[in-house]
Amino acid sequence: MTTPKKLKLSEEELVQALKNQDITVMRALYDMYGAALLGVILRITQHTELAEDLLQETFLKIWHAAEKYDATKGRLFTWMMNIARNLAIDKLRSKDFKNSGKNQDIENNVAVIDNQKKQIINIELLGLRDLVTGLKPELSKVLEMVYYNGFTHAEAAEALNLPLGTVKTRIRTAIVELRKQFN
Amino acid sequence: MEEHKAYIESGILELYVLGQLSAPEMLEVERMAASAPEIKRELEAIEIALEAYAIENAVEPREDLFNTLEAKLNPVQQTSFSIQPPPPVKVEQRSNKSLMYALAACVGLLVVSGIALINAHVELGKAQQQIIALRTETDRYAKGMNVLKQTNIELQTVADMIDDPNWAIVQLAGTKTSPASKMMVYWNRKSQDVVLDKSRMKLPENDQAHQYQLWALVGGKPVDLGVFDVKTDSAQILLRMKEIPKAEAFAVTLEKRGGSVNPTMDQMVVFAGVSI
Repeated sequence: MTTPKKLKLSEEELVQALKNQDITVMRALYDMYGAALLGVILRITQHTELAEDLLQETFLKIWHAAEKYDATKGRLFTWMMNIARNLAIDKLRSKDFKNSGKNQDIENNVAVIDNQKKQIINIELLGLRDLVTGLKPELSKVLEMVYYNGFTHAEAAEALNLPLGTVKTRIRTAIVELRKQFN
Repeated sequence: MEEHKAYIESGILELYVLGQLSAPEMLEVERMAASAPEIKRELEAIEIALEAYAIENAVEPREDLFNTLEAKLNPVQQTSFSIQPPPPVKVEQRSNKSLMYALAACVGLLVVSGIALINAHVELGKAQQQIIALRTETDRYAKGMNVLKQTNIELQTVADMIDDPNWAIVQLAGTKTSPASKMMVYWNRKSQDVVLDKSRMKLPENDQAHQYQLWALVGGKPVDLGVFDVKTDSAQILLRMKEIPKAEAFAVTLEKRGGSVNPTMDQMVVFAGVSI
């Protein structure tokens, strides 16, 4: 995936440059993590154009909130990923997005909407196939909900009609499985 | 140690990485991670796993997206990339610089606002001028309308007069002094009204020092019927003069403004005898 042109730096270098508000670091961060963040955002929003807008917003926020990042509290990517996720989930919950969705519903007929839904399902399936193969559906479902759908673990527990402890355990188990896969 | 294991097993670290914890819960995790290296390691392992998971699921953005982003970044400063930690003085400079940029931005904003305000003011001025122009035009039309109304009423009066047998129409012809002149006088023998028809009047325009004076000849003597002006731009058609019960002839002379007691005979412009 990575071409020789793309910038790559160590996490310490990235953090240092980001804290120094060195604009060059944005190119490096973008080259290294832009696609990963877009993958996360796209998985949440299911809409390429919107996801790319949100990716830009994510990087703007990373740039402007750089001083708030605390390396002792977690890795840089975790921080960036949570910015991306929060922006995407907020967008989905926001009024204007819901309104635009409504407008689409009015403009388009039911068949088109059904197609869109099918597409979303297909994307989900594609996304899950090679990566979460090892995961049992019950694990991937919980992970999907809290990771991509903006559910809190308490909401996920309620939605799945499971005890909170079970949901927590399943999230942990799912991530343990992922850790095995990615070594 | 056993306690830490239970803590790890509880799944709270995963929730921490996923941003699912409340602020106090996060603080607790951070405190635990700071005191217990195995918890710190566990946290990192979770982070790396999710990071790898995300990278594995990466979707390449369209090629020019970074250019759009770069334009929005609006850099505080542009320097070549350096991995050395900057000396404190430099940091000072940077904050000064960012202050300068902020100040410059403020000034820029002020200028832009000022220009916008001036523009708005100019636009408002234009709009006001337009309103004034429109109002003037409306007034003009209203005036024109009144003139037309008045003209219409007067024309109707003329038409009625012609139908009424009591009204005599006296055509005054030009004299030697002013052969081209002619004029029309309506005279009602019953009501004694005398009315001039300016629409059928052909007299040279009088100046400020002079006025035309209408005379009736009664028993061979001139009787003053009043003065009038001839102006080409006047919209008035009918002009009521003094009443006269009897007349053998009508004549108009050009007199000094205000009229004379006796007509200046060599200044007579039109004349007509009245047939009975």
